[in-house]
Amino acid sequence: MSLDPGTIVPLAVTFESFTDVDFWISVGIIAGTYTIVALGLQLNTGFTGIVNFGQAAFMAIGAYTMAILVLKAGFSFWLSLPIAVLAAMLFGVIVGLPSLRLRADYFAIATIAMAEVVRLFAQNARGLTGGNQGLFCDTEGDTSVCYTNDWRDLSDSINENIVSNFWSNPDTLFPLFLVVWLTVGIAVVALSYFQGTPWGRVLRAIREDEDAARALGKNTLLYKLQSLAISACLGAIAGFFLALNLATLHPIDFEPLVTFFAFSVLILGGMANYKGVALGAVLFWVVLEATRFIELPDPPFTETRLASLRLAITGLLLIGLMAFRPQGIFGKREEMVIGE
Amino acid sequence: MTRPAPAAIGERLMERLRRQPWIGAVGVILVIFLALVAGEGLHAVAQTGLNGLSLGAIYALGAVGLTLVYGILKLVNFAHGDFLTFGAYMAYLVNVTWGAPLIVAVFWAMVATALLGLLFERLLWGPMRAKHAGFLQLILMSIGLAFVIRAVVQWFWGTEIRTLDVNTTDTVDFLGLRIGQTELVVLVVGVAVLVGVGFMLRVTLLGKRMRALSDDLDLAETAGIDTRRVILYTWVFAGALAGLAGVLAGAITSLRPELGFELLLPIFAAVILGGIGDAFGALVAGLVLGVMTEWSTLLIDARWKVAVGFLVLLIVLVIRPQGIFGRAKAI
Amino acid sequence: MNDHHQTGGSSPSPAEPPRTLLEVDEVVKRFGGIRAVDGATMKVREGTITALIGPNGAGKTTLFNVVTGFYRGDRGSVTFDGRQVFGEAPYEIARKGMVRTFQITKALAAMPVIDNMMLAAPDQPGERFRNLILRPDAVRRREKEVRADAMELLEIFNLAELADDYAGTLSGGQRKLLELARALMARPKLLLLDEPMAGINPVLGKRLLDHMQQLRQERGVTFLFIEHDMEVVMNHSDRVVVMAEGRVIADGEPQEVRADKSVIDAYLGGVAADTVAGEKPYR
Repeated sequence: MSLDPGTIVPLAVTFESFTDVDFWISVGIIAGTYTIVALGLQLNTGFTGIVNFGQAAFMAIGAYTMAILVLKAGFSFWLSLPIAVLAAMLFGVIVGLPSLRLRADYFAIATIAMAEVVRLFAQNARGLTGGNQGLFCDTEGDTSVCYTNDWRDLSDSINENIVSNFWSNPDTLFPLFLVVWLTVGIAVVALSYFQGTPWGRVLRAIREDEDAARALGKNTLLYKLQSLAISACLGAIAGFFLALNLATLHPIDFEPLVTFFAFSVLILGGMANYKGVALGAVLFWVVLEATRFIELPDPPFTETRLASLRLAITGLLLIGLMAFRPQGIFGKREEMVIGE
Repeated sequence: MTRPAPAAIGERLMERLRRQPWIGAVGVILVIFLALVAGEGLHAVAQTGLNGLSLGAIYALGAVGLTLVYGILKLVNFAHGDFLTFGAYMAYLVNVTWGAPLIVAVFWAMVATALLGLLFERLLWGPMRAKHAGFLQLILMSIGLAFVIRAVVQWFWGTEIRTLDVNTTDTVDFLGLRIGQTELVVLVVGVAVLVGVGFMLRVTLLGKRMRALSDDLDLAETAGIDTRRVILYTWVFAGALAGLAGVLAGAITSLRPELGFELLLPIFAAVILGGIGDAFGALVAGLVLGVMTEWSTLLIDARWKVAVGFLVLLIVLVIRPQGIFGRAKAI
Repeated sequence: MNDHHQTGGSSPSPAEPPRTLLEVDEVVKRFGGIRAVDGATMKVREGTITALIGPNGAGKTTLFNVVTGFYRGDRGSVTFDGRQVFGEAPYEIARKGMVRTFQITKALAAMPVIDNMMLAAPDQPGERFRNLILRPDAVRRREKEVRADAMELLEIFNLAELADDYAGTLSGGQRKLLELARALMARPKLLLLDEPMAGINPVLGKRLLDHMQQLRQERGVTFLFIEHDMEVVMNHSDRVVVMAEGRVIADGEPQEVRADKSVIDAYLGGVAADTVAGEKPYR
């Protein structure tokens, strides 16, 4: 192995990327998407006490239903969105009805199994979902029809007509960034409001002790179903953003890792706190995406190794938080019923 | 003497089934077997059944360790799948990179994975128990651990598919059935070890103690059993079996970082089907699940066969969460 | 003000005997081979304070669980306020006016005391999701009412200053009072208390009993409580029901029951068994 200047200072990294706007917009979009996913998990786990490990399935159903309706059934993109959300919510109710009666750990396993069934379907029902090749544009008929078309038109028009007044050469992804964070804002406000209502109070009671709630006349199964359905709705919306961001859909984009990334975001931001979720997501993804943007020297940091690094960081984060600060950054220790 | 009314007979049968549910399970399997033979012929059913036993042995080896850890430590160990992965890659290291014979690699894999289990018990699970950590904390921690193990494997061996130095072409014929040489070895080793495991659990003192702790930890403690010791042995046991399962799985398929996690859900299915904490239940359920999974290829396209494990899991959770052998207290 | 807080029951007029509020008939509950409740039959009359006693393992809590729907009984019938409730879900039974507390207090520790109280109030439009969107004013109005009712009850139980504290910070005795106060918020006709005196000091216990008498007088609440303390049972209850080995072996006034031979036998047998193994052996 010859001594090449690159190996003398193996840890020399460049931080140029941190001043690159594209980096921040890219991180912002993915952080915002995961915030929406994790807001659903916060409602489920942080406030209702149900451990939903199947969130990726709702994302998949939302994204794939939208893409299939547009590409295979000729629906308009805008019409496909509410239908896809309803599909995800319906799936949540169907799955929840038999499984929400189960003990929390059984329910967690059931949701993961359910999510893997969904992913298996996406991988193998090739006619419908494109299998592992994925979905992006209509491969059979008019190949110019891609599910991102309508969005791209809107996005470009936002850039031309609104953003260009403030920013001369706006990044093409900027409108997506705006829409994602606008959605985050609306979701946080709505969820926080609902949490403070009598309805939210019942959820919190269920979180801590379902029997106590039932002894006081509350139909706990119904509330848990509603919690799951709302989370499915949020998951589907996040699925849309993922689909638009990536411009193609593959089953691998909805593997269990995605749900667990979202849980990492949730724990980092703190349980039982909606606003903290956004911060958790941004922090998490800045760190993870930094591995992509910091120019680390290729031996030893190959692409695959960077991916392992991201996995390792997430794993260590989860272990560390659970060991030393299970309530995360903004969580309230007194409200941590699941941890104790 | 008057004949009992049909309703009473029905009620007695239901009572019998409720008390000994495995009778119902055997009945169901028998019905499926007969239906498949009628539809596809005995040869096809036997052939796929044989393949299913190899797969089932792998499931069972993974499930026995997982169920004991679940039962004794109340830990839903999502990292267990990656123990299998770790074992497989340890075998690769010895067998392919260092060129040692497979048998050495297998032993090394079992030892290394057992040590890994002990390491994490010392570093993570013991301290968390002392802190009275709740089940969500433990689950998420095990998920984090799963990521770390997979990250390490991926760092050193990358994502490309690797294979162990095994014979992939030769086949063996007997009783009109054909099985790959390596598959046969996996089957024989797997079943042999399982028989040994069953014997060990039933007859040896340690085995009985592990089962006692899994059944009721507090009761076992009051009976004077040194629970700390048994817990350590359980991790050794679970780790070694997981490592073996990983090597066997790697031998008949191939090595990639997701190997273990892909097996984790069917292994969970076996654990739940057999009743959490019931090692024998997990053993039998694993074998049954493997056979069912392979039998399903007679009816549906092979790429869907993994769905069998998931569907069994979901059905069991809905109908009888305590599993075939478990008791109602599980809820 | 009194009318506003009147619960479902009404004080019986002295001329006619009080009507039966709860009727339990030949209830059976098995766990595997064990018959925890083996054909229990009893009645609770409106406006009474009834104690349910018996040696450990007699099946008292199990019976509670079956009556309130937390366990599915195998056989028998339970009639509450004239309607069959056997096999109904616990939340349905609670809504009909039968509210129970638990042996290990279920004060919701991660919620403030006032939230615990407001949770229990019946007829809250704000608990239905669609009303949050469609009828926000009705939701707001009822919330105000519920809060006022809750504070009033907390005053009676001397817990008002703790209203905003997390229930987890309360002492054991305070949590018992909270659980009782919370159960009352639900406007119960019949209140089932599972060992309300367990683990609290005698002074607090006396207060609890006084509250029960007061509630019976002023609001017509009927009580059925499981208790081990004989002094409490004899001096503070109108009727005593005795269970042993899953069956009701006596049902009458305290003095009658105390003298009943089968009760004495059960207790002597029960005491002996208790001291040996802690669990009464079943057939």
